[in-house]
Amino acid sequence: MNLLERFFGKRPVLTAQQSQRLDAWLSLPAPLKNKPMNESRYVVVDVESSGLNINKDRLIAIGAVAVINGNIQLNDSFEIVLQQERVSDKGNILIHGIGATSQREGVPPADALLTFLEYLGKDPLIAFHVAFDESMISRAMKTFLGLNFRHAWADLAYVAPALYPRLARGHRSLDDWMGVFQISNYARHNALADALSTAELLLALQPKLQSRNAASFQGLKAMEREHRRHTPPVF
Amino acid sequence: MPEAGNSLIEATADHLSQYAPFDQMARGHLTWMAEKLSLGYFAKDELILSPEESGKPKFFIIKQGVVQGEQGIGQSTENGAWLELHEGECFPLGALLANRPVTGTYRASSDVFCYELAAEDFLQLTRLSSEFYDFCTRRIANLLEQSKHLIQAGYSKASAEQQSMNSILSAIIRREPVTCSPESTIKQALQRMQDQGVGAMVAVDNQSPKGVLTLHDVLNRVALTQVDLEKPVIDIMSTKLTTLPPHAPAHEAALAMAKEGIRHVLVTDNDRLVGVVSEKDLFTLQRVGLSRISNAIRQASTLEVLKQCAGDIQQLARNMLAQGIAAEQLTQIITTLNDLLTTRIIELELKDCPARDIEFCWLALGSEGRFEQTLNTDQDNGIIFALKEDEDPAAMREIFLPFAKRVNLALAECGFPLCNGEVMASNPKWCLSLQEWKNTFDTWIYHGAPMDILHSTIFFDFRPLYGASHLGNALREWLQTAAPKNTRFLHQLAVNALRNRPPLGMVRDFVTGDDHTIDLKMNGITPFVDAARIFSLAVGGSQTNTLLRLREIAAPLNMNDRDVDAYCDAFLFIQLLRLRLHHAQNEKGEKLSNRVDPDTLNNLDRRILKEAFRQARKLQTKLSLDYQA
Repeated sequence: MNLLERFFGKRPVLTAQQSQRLDAWLSLPAPLKNKPMNESRYVVVDVESSGLNINKDRLIAIGAVAVINGNIQLNDSFEIVLQQERVSDKGNILIHGIGATSQREGVPPADALLTFLEYLGKDPLIAFHVAFDESMISRAMKTFLGLNFRHAWADLAYVAPALYPRLARGHRSLDDWMGVFQISNYARHNALADALSTAELLLALQPKLQSRNAASFQGLKAMEREHRRHTPPVF
Repeated sequence: MPEAGNSLIEATADHLSQYAPFDQMARGHLTWMAEKLSLGYFAKDELILSPEESGKPKFFIIKQGVVQGEQGIGQSTENGAWLELHEGECFPLGALLANRPVTGTYRASSDVFCYELAAEDFLQLTRLSSEFYDFCTRRIANLLEQSKHLIQAGYSKASAEQQSMNSILSAIIRREPVTCSPESTIKQALQRMQDQGVGAMVAVDNQSPKGVLTLHDVLNRVALTQVDLEKPVIDIMSTKLTTLPPHAPAHEAALAMAKEGIRHVLVTDNDRLVGVVSEKDLFTLQRVGLSRISNAIRQASTLEVLKQCAGDIQQLARNMLAQGIAAEQLTQIITTLNDLLTTRIIELELKDCPARDIEFCWLALGSEGRFEQTLNTDQDNGIIFALKEDEDPAAMREIFLPFAKRVNLALAECGFPLCNGEVMASNPKWCLSLQEWKNTFDTWIYHGAPMDILHSTIFFDFRPLYGASHLGNALREWLQTAAPKNTRFLHQLAVNALRNRPPLGMVRDFVTGDDHTIDLKMNGITPFVDAARIFSLAVGGSQTNTLLRLREIAAPLNMNDRDVDAYCDAFLFIQLLRLRLHHAQNEKGEKLSNRVDPDTLNNLDRRILKEAFRQARKLQTKLSLDYQA
C-alpha cells in the first residue's frame, strides 16, 4: 500500500459499464431547491447496517420511497440488499431480519449503489436522523464507487419538532412521531417499511409546512436549521 | 424504475387483502392495483372529495383513519354525517362507475391516510377483476352473499342440526361421544350410561373405538346372563364395529343400520371416534320437514300434538337457518306454519262453541300481520265479527270472548307468550264488530294521542288469518281511504318513528348502550317497518309486509328502484342477523333477546350492519323531508 492510498483510501476499480453508469448520473441536472413540494419528487430513505458505529459498521440494505407532488407513489419505491463479504452477527440480524444467506446473495455493492443512484436521480433525500443514513451511504459510495456523495438531505428529526415545538421534548424517535400521527409500520426495521413510515410522516407534516410557507426543500432546510439552532444534536 | 413486486407492494397487497372486496380478488389483480396506488394524507377536517372539484375523482381506499361522508346541501339532516368509513373501505363508487362528479362531500374526521387510484386505473380494474366489478356494482348484495357463505360454512361446522337425509354425519352429531376405557368394569360403564342418559357406550383406547355396548344389548348380555358386573366391559361388547367417516351422508348411516340390524353407527375420523349417531337422531331428521309439519298440523286432533308441532316449527326454522336460507323465505315459512297452527287451534276450539255459527274473522297483528315472525314472537291478535242490524255488539262479544280466551291460552301453550300489552282477541277492546273497528281506527287517526300512535303501529299491520276474510278486507279498504286524507296523523306517525334513530356513531362505528350492545329489533328493524307503514298508509297501499310495502310505495313516491333494493337488502340483513342471534341463544339455552354486541360480529357482518343502518337513516331522511318531521 503506498502512501497516497493510505491517506486517501484505495480507489475502487469500476468496470467500463459501471463507470459509464456513474458518469451518466453525475451529468444529471439538479432540480431547483425552491420548487414547491407539490411539484417535486423527494426520495425518502432508510438504511440497515451491521451496527450503529458510523465509522466502522457496514451498509447492508437501502429502502426508499418517492414522494411525488406530495403523494407517496408506491411503485416508485426501492429496496436492495448489498452483498456482504462478512455476514453481520446474530443480534444484528435479529434487528433487521436480513439473514446470512440474503446478505451473501445480495447485489454486489457497486452495482447496488449505482442502481440506487439511478433510482434517486438528483432529487433531494429525506430521512429521519440523516446523520446516520448519510454517513452510511456516503462511506459506501466512497468505498465502492470512489464517489464523494455530496447530496441534498433534509432531516425530519429536526423538521418535525420545529413544526411542533410543544411536542419537541417528549418526541425524539421515529416511533414517537409515528405515534403522534398514528402511522403504522408493516415491518419496523425493514429499510423500505421504515422509509414508508418516514414518508408518511413527511406527508403528515405537509399542512403545517404549508402554513409556515415551508413546503419546499428549501423550506424543509430552513425548518431544520431553526430547530438545530435551539437544540444540541440529538443522539 | 425498481422491479415490480417489492416488499412494499406485497405488504400493501397483504394489508388490503384483509378487507372486502380485496380479499376475494386474485393476487395478481391485487398486485396490479397496488403498483398503481399512491398514498396521500389528509389532516383532520380536511376535505377529500367534494362535488365542486373539477375533473374525475380518484378512487380512495382508507389505509388508516376515519372519513365522513355528507350528503349534498339541501338534503342534509341535523345529524350531518350519514356515512362513516373506516380502514379498508373505499369511496366513491357510484360517481366513478357513472363517470360523474361525486354528489356528497368526503372529509377526514381524523388523521387519514388514503391509497389513491386514478379513475382510468379504477375502470381498468373493474374490467380485469370480475370480483372487483361485482363488488362495485352490487355492493350490499355482494357483501350479503359473502356473509351468507360464511354463515353456511360456520353452521355446517358448528350446528347440530341439518334438515335432510343428505346432510353429513358431522352435522348431525349432537354431543361428544360418551366413552370408557375397555378395562372399565361393566358396572362402571352401565352407571355412566345411566348418568349421561345415552343409549350406547363406546370403549376407546387412545380415542380409537374398540367396542360398543347399547342399552338393547344390556338385556341379553347382562340381565339375562347375570354376568359378573365387576368384569371388564370389553368382554360383553360388540367388537365388530360399523363406522362411517364424518362426511358420509345421513342416509348411508340409515342404510348401514338397516343392513346390520343395529341402532348406532360410530363416526370416526382416521380411526378417531368423533361421535355416535343413533337411529333416533335419524328419525328426528326426517320428522322435521316442511310438508311433514304442515300435514301433522292439519291432522292434529289435540293440543298435545299441536304443541309437538310448534316445537317442530322451531326446529325446522333453526335447521333452515343453519342452511343459510334467506331471511325473507324463513320468516314467511315460520309465519305460514304459525298461521296453520293458529288455524288448527281455532278449528279445534270452535268445535263445540256457539261462535261456530257466527261469521267472524281472526286477525293477525304486528309482526305476524307483516309475515315477519322470528323465533320469539308474542301473540298479537284480534277478532272482527259480523253484526246484523238489530244485534247488540256487547252481547256478541260475550259469545266470542271465552272462545278467544281459549285460543289465546292454547297459543301460549304452543310457545307464543301472551301479549304483555293485552293486544289479544280475548281483550274486549280488540274483539269488535266491523263498525266498531272503523270507529276505533277513526278515533286514532283524528286524535293522534300518544297511545293512539302506538296502537296504530301494531294494529295497522293487521291481516285476516282465519274465517271471513271479507271482514278484514273491508276494514283494510276503509283504512286505505281514511289514512291518506289525514296528513296531520301521518306527520305524527313520522315524528314518532324518527325518535328511534339507527345507532351509527361519529367516532366509533356504532353507538351502543351501557352494556355495549345494539338492539337489532328496535334500532334496526323498526325504522324500516315504521317508515314502510307510514309511506304505505300515505299512498293508500294494501300490503302489510315491509318488503312488499317498500315495493308498493316505490312508484307512487318516485323512489329509485336501486334505492328500494338497497332498503330491502338492508332490512333482510338485519333480520338475518337477528335470526342468527336467536339461533345462537337457543343453542346455548339462553333467553332470546335482540341485543347484540357489535364486537362479537365478524368484520364483514359489522360492515354490512353499518351499511344497513345507513340505509335505515337514509329512509328516515326521506320520511323527515316528506313530513317535515
